[in-house]
Parts: sequence; C-alpha cells; structure tokens
Amino acid sequence: MTRQLSLLVNITGVGAHPGAWTLPGPAPDAYVDPEHHLRVARTAERGALDGVFLADIPALHGDIGQGPGQALEPSMLLTYLAAATERVGVVFTGSTTFNEPYNLARRVLSIDHASRGRAGWNAVATFFPGAAQNFGLDTVLDPDTRYRRAEEFIGLVHRLWDSWEDGALIADTDGARFADPGRIHSADHSGEFFDVAGPLNVPRSPQGRPVQLQAGASPQGVALAGRFAEAVYTPLLDEEAARGYRARLAGQARRYGRDVSGIRLLPGLTPVLGSTEDEARARFAALEAGVRADARQTGRVARTLGLDPATTDPEAPLTEAQLSGPPPDRLPTGFFRTHVEIARREGLSLAGLAARTIGGHRSVIGTPEQVADDITGWWSAGLVDGFTLLPDALPDGLDTFVDHVVPILRQRGVFRHGYTGTTLRDHLGLPVPAPSYEQKGAPAR
Amino acid sequence: MTPSPGRRHLHLNVNIFQSGIFAGAWRAPDGDPRAAFSLDHYLTTARIAEAAKLDAVFLADTPVLTPDVAHRPEYALEPTVILAGIAAHTRRIGLIATASTSYNEPYNIARRFAALDHLSRGRAGFNAVTTAGPAAARNFGLDQAPAHRDRYRRAAEFVETVGELWDSWDDDALIGDAARGVFADPARIHTIDHRGEFFRVRGPLNTPRSPQGRPVLVQAGGSPDGIELAAAHAEAVFSAAQTLDEGTAYYRAVKSRAAALGRDPEGIVVLPGLSTVVAATRDEALERLNSLQDLIPLRYGLDRLAALLGIDADALDPDAELPWDLIGPAEDVQGLQTFFTVTTDLARRERLTARQLIRRLGGGLGHRVVAGSPADIADTIEEWFTAGAADGFNLMPDVLPSGLAAFAEHVVPELRRRGLFRDDYAGATLRDHFGLARPPVVRHAPDTAEVLAR
Repeated sequence: MTRQLSLLVNITGVGAHPGAWTLPGPAPDAYVDPEHHLRVARTAERGALDGVFLADIPALHGDIGQGPGQALEPSMLLTYLAAATERVGVVFTGSTTFNEPYNLARRVLSIDHASRGRAGWNAVATFFPGAAQNFGLDTVLDPDTRYRRAEEFIGLVHRLWDSWEDGALIADTDGARFADPGRIHSADHSGEFFDVAGPLNVPRSPQGRPVQLQAGASPQGVALAGRFAEAVYTPLLDEEAARGYRARLAGQARRYGRDVSGIRLLPGLTPVLGSTEDEARARFAALEAGVRADARQTGRVARTLGLDPATTDPEAPLTEAQLSGPPPDRLPTGFFRTHVEIARREGLSLAGLAARTIGGHRSVIGTPEQVADDITGWWSAGLVDGFTLLPDALPDGLDTFVDHVVPILRQRGVFRHGYTGTTLRDHLGLPVPAPSYEQKGAPAR
Repeated sequence: MTPSPGRRHLHLNVNIFQSGIFAGAWRAPDGDPRAAFSLDHYLTTARIAEAAKLDAVFLADTPVLTPDVAHRPEYALEPTVILAGIAAHTRRIGLIATASTSYNEPYNIARRFAALDHLSRGRAGFNAVTTAGPAAARNFGLDQAPAHRDRYRRAAEFVETVGELWDSWDDDALIGDAARGVFADPARIHTIDHRGEFFRVRGPLNTPRSPQGRPVLVQAGGSPDGIELAAAHAEAVFSAAQTLDEGTAYYRAVKSRAAALGRDPEGIVVLPGLSTVVAATRDEALERLNSLQDLIPLRYGLDRLAALLGIDADALDPDAELPWDLIGPAEDVQGLQTFFTVTTDLARRERLTARQLIRRLGGGLGHRVVAGSPADIADTIEEWFTAGAADGFNLMPDVLPSGLAAFAEHVVPELRRRGLFRDDYAGATLRDHFGLARPPVVRHAPDTAEVLAR
C-alpha cells in the first residue's frame, strides 16, 4: 500500500483558541449542542478525513469563566456522531486511571459495533488533580503508578476485546445453539491493579479491534505508545522535536518487537487560515482580543513555562533562566519540555512562542497554500504520518480547511479523494491485529 | 381521543430486550439472531415506539456474559451507547438506560447521563440498579457481589451523589457575554464536596445543567431494600408482579412509603413489566404464544430457573412440581429477590411443573406474560391502571421489533379509543411524557462561591 496522509480532527468544543466562542457564529452553548458537533463531523466526512477525535478530562478544568473546552462525555457524543455519519472514524479518549477495564472495553467495543468498525480508543493516564478528587483521591497518583496501571489496563482491554472468536456466534435456529462457549475466551486476568475474569459480552470488532491510540509525551507515555499504540497524538512543535520523538518512539517500539512504521504519528496542528496572510493574522488577533489577558496565548505559554505573565515582557526573547523550569506540577511534563525546546532553538519571545503554539500544539497562521505546504513538507520528509487538526474556531475553521486546504493536498497527490475503505483501520492503513488467544500463553476457556 | 387535562393517563415504555423477551425469540421466523449486536435493530424498534407515541425506550443491563449465551442472546452492546445512537435519529421518545451502582463511579455515570440529556434535548433517564451474582463481581475484582443490604446502601449514596453533581451548575451559570469576555459565572458553579461511606467526590460536573435539570431517575427492584430506595429517590419504578393483588400491594407500598418520606406520591410513576403476545384475534395470539413456548430451549429454562431458586439444575424434574423442600425463603436470596418471589408464588399458586412454569414465563425472568386479542390486552392494562396497580407498563414484546409493531398497530388504537393513552406527545422531554416537574437545583453543600480557575 502506498503511504498516505492521515488527518484526524480534534473537536475541542468550539475551537482550540479560548476566544473561539467570542467570534460571531455559534451560540455560547454550542459546546454542548449536538447540532454543532454534527456539523463539524459532517464537514470532516465531506473532506474524507480519517476521524473525529474527542479529548477528555473527567473534571471541570480550565477557566470556565473565560471560555469552554471539550465537556460532553465523549463516548456519548461520538456514538451520536457515528449514528449520523457513514464513514468518518470516531476516536474516544478514556482514562485508564478513573475507569474499570471491563466497563471501558465494553463501551468502546459497543461504539465500534454501533459505527460498524469506526472506533478508536485514545488511552490516557489522567494527570489532572481535579479529576482525582472526583474519584475518591486527594491528589493524582504518581506517574509511575499511573503508567503501570495504564499498561496493565490496556493489555487487559485488548484481551477482553478478543473474547469472542469470529465464529463464536452460531445462530443455529433449528439446533437452538446461539453461541459456542468453547470459542469465547475468558481473560482470567490477575495483576497488580486488576482481577478480571471476563469474557466480554460483546463480540469481536468489525475491524478486528478498535484502533489503539495514545497521547502521552512523557518518557512513560512514549514507552506505553511503543508497546501498544497504533497511532499517537502528541504535541510536536518543530521538526527537530518531531525527529527526536520519532526516534524515541521507534526505540520503545523495538523493545516490544514492533516497528515504528506500524504506528501512525499524528501530532497536533492548529491552522489559522485566511485568504491572505494578513487576513489570517487578523483572525488570530481577533481571537486573542476576545478574551482577557490571562486567557490569551501569551498567558497560556507563560503558565506552561511556570512564569508570571504579568511580569514577563511578551516581546523580549525568553532567557535561559526563564526556560529552566521547574515545570508546573498541574500540567503534563511533555507540554513543558516541548515549549522550552522550541523557544530555545529559535530564540522566541513569549508572543512569538504563543503564535506558534496555540492551545499547546503547533500552529500555522497563513493561507491555505502555506498550511498545505507545511503539511506536505512534514509528511514528505517522513517526520509524521499526518496530523490531528485542532481548528482555531469551529465550525468555520474546519470548513475553511476542508474547502481550501484539502483540495490542494489532493492536487498534490498527498491526500485521498474519497474513502477507500469503511473502517477507521482502513482509513489509517492499519492491519488487523492477531487475537490474543492465538498468541502464546493465552489460556482457553 | 386526547386524555382530558388533569385526567390521569397511561405511560408505556418498551423494554428492548435484544431479539425479544421470549428466550426463543431469536429462533422465531420473525426474529433476528443478531439483534443484540446491531444498532439498527434498536433504532428500528425505537422508531416504532416513537411513531406510537410511547413514553420511552428502556434498556436493562448486567455487565457479564454467562454460559446461557449458548442458548440465547444476552446483554451485549452497552445501553448508554445504544441510546446515544437512538438520540441521533429520534426527536421525542424518552431514553432510559440501566447502569450498575455496584460497578461504576458516580462521576462517570453523572456525566454520561448528563451528556445523553444534552444530546437528546431532555429525554434521558437513568435506571439505577445494584448488580447481583458472583459472575459479574469477578469482572470487577471481587469474588462475590456484596450482600444485598450493602449493595442497596451503596446504591442510595450513589444516586444521591449523582443528583448533587447534576445540580452543581445553577441553571443560569452560563452567561456567554462575548462583548465582556465572560463565558460562565464561576460563583454559580459549585463543588459538591461529597464525603460518604462509599464515595468522596469533589465536583462540580463539567457540563451545564442538562435540559431536564436532572435526567429522570428510575429504579427497578421489589425487595424491601429496593422499595425503600425507590420511595426515597425514584421518579419512575420498573417493577415485577404476576397478579393484580401483588401489583396493588407493591404500588401502595412504594407510594405510601414515599409519602411517609415527605414526597408527593404522584412524583413516582410505577411501571410493572408486561410481556405481550399480540395478534388480531385471541386464537391467533394463543397460537403464537404456543409456538414461541415451543422455541424456548428447555435446558436454558431449567438452568435459569435453578439459578433463580438457588438450587442445582439436576434437582429440577421438568414434569414435576418444584422441589419445595430444597427452596429457601426469599429473605435468604442474595440475588434477584423480586423475581424469586413472583416466580415461586406463581408456581405454588397454580401447582405448575417446572416445564409449565418455564413456558408460562416465556423462558424469561418472572414478568407477567399476557397473550390475547387487542381488546384482551387493553382490558388487562386498563384493569391494572384503574385498580391502582400501575401508572403504566414497561412493555416487553415477545419478539422484536414485530411484537412491538403488533402492539402499536392493534393495542395502542384500542387504548386511545378508551381515552387511556395520548394521541400525540404534549411535551418534548421525558419529564413531560411522565408528567414530572423539572426539579429545581438543590444545594447540599454550603454555598462557598468558589472560583474554579485552576
């Protein structure tokens, strides 16, 4: 199969920029309005994008006084979107810290059946302290514990997904044999965190298994991705960071006998589009002007670096002292490190860094041609397999991308003209994994 | 005809039990063996229910696969996922899903149902159940389910916590003033700081208060612990009763206990399960019943009955009465007390053999099965409704979707002719359909007006 560009779109409520809700267009409650999300998903499908993606933190987070983030529980919203679309994939973010493996495995596989094989699971080891307090803990577990739990959790979910062999459903009406229990495998899992008997009560996925995604950029996150992930969503702020990340991912994949070519690297990308560069800059300025100073990107970058925005000159190049940390403890360490790296390499100011990293991911402010150049450049250089788009404001940010950037990518032979398959695995060009019970040491029921 | 204002009218849900409530429904000529795995099956059924102006679709659940799957479909696709799919293709029908209070966290469940309420614009209901049995327990790190009483204590705290989370945003917390850059008022969004025997939850929820204020809280369970839980918290109850006397006794127990707790008894809608076998004439219906009974896999029926009675399946002789000397009292049952009671009462009253009992129950759990002409079915519905045994029914058609289509075609018009059932929806939300008020925000924790910038 020829190598192909993959594009997911992360529907971050009404857009990745906190000022998105202040632009003319969607009503303030769009971020909990099904019609708003459906419009975005249909636009993604019109552009033959690989999938829509929903991030998730099980807590109220961010500054709700200033603007909304992704809020509706993603398994509900994604099923709703899947039921109203035909082809576009749906990627669910689910915490390995605050769920039970049986429940989560069942829910994701249910979405997969409901969408006829279009589901993916982005496994996250939730770091946010406010979430811990919603689940009986005083604060978040330490990273090692969270990632050990995540590792056990994901492996167990895969076993549960593989409970039913393809031929387990007999449906012999005359013989009154519905299913063959001999072809349904229990998990019989007993580990550090979980004891789960199984089997799961949902048959095998229409795509073999839901696609496994992972989003951590910390060393533990990369190790987890190397072991399990089929696609990775992470902030990569420049080419140097991308090369470094890919090398680390390849190393971790090798540890588990895997090749990095089997992992789709899809870092975040926020395009801010205008028909001219000036128009694009004006759009960014309008987004920044919509919110108070501390909600602007300069404020966000300052907080990511652990600096006080009030006392940091936005236009002066950041000094080594300002970039030496320590990282703030309420943010994932990957975000801190990536921001520091790019600021150091390019000698950026706070404002310069802010325009390059809207919402914490790489951003490109420019014309459709410039954004297409950027995407094509990264992809052709083999740095990435595609991107997870985080449009600045929705729904129009994605409309512009699909109407003006996608045609250029198609013209250049980089992106598909339409879907060639039906499942998310088809779209991403991923093989169907062998079921666990065919691997050595798997117990039969 | 339209029921006159102020007049009590009937509520009807359809319980979409995979291929149908009869254990052999998947084998029937009009059955679909793959129904349990197909969103389309649930959608088709929901659309029939909505066209007939039913109150809601209802999905039962247990998070486990048992060896019974050799003989019939079991719970498969997760109910809230099915309902989110149905929400995308319907506009009025209520959407009630079962979720276990034994094996979930309140924050996750509060969010899922709030999301479903937003997505459906106010049609969600949460049927809070405790989960019995060692097989499900073993999927969640336990060898045995907690004791009956302990499960219900956890359930009570669970639904209280979920309710606090649903109320954590004031109705007017979302401001959306773009000119001033003020999105929401943090002073109108409250932590709940719940600290109880089973849960510590800080809150708040991360979505605005949902269209119904709170999704409708449903409860299913006829044991003394279940009645207590329903009377204290439920807004609709899914119950099981075989006879009119049992039905009226249960109805009175729930409503009088609710009144004793200071609640309005009319704020609880009591909906017994009713399995229906409908045809244009009584003879056709009885013929259909007989052929569906013939399709029940006997081995499955015996295994299921033995498990319910807490005895070994080998102790059941299909052609003899139940071995009463081996069967203990209901209070000793740690599992499904409601179904144990209705099933043993039926067998004892009518001196049924095991085979006859299994046929009478359709191979199902213990809900009442009625077969007959449209007038027969409407008669029994009207009798229970007017005698104070039911505010309506949770219908469990024999085979789906055909059994519901037959009910909608034949029985619903008859109920309308008698002035018992609506011609059209009068409102848009499940609360509207059930005649339940939108609840005001109840503040449990001290109002600290905390700022949530983090």
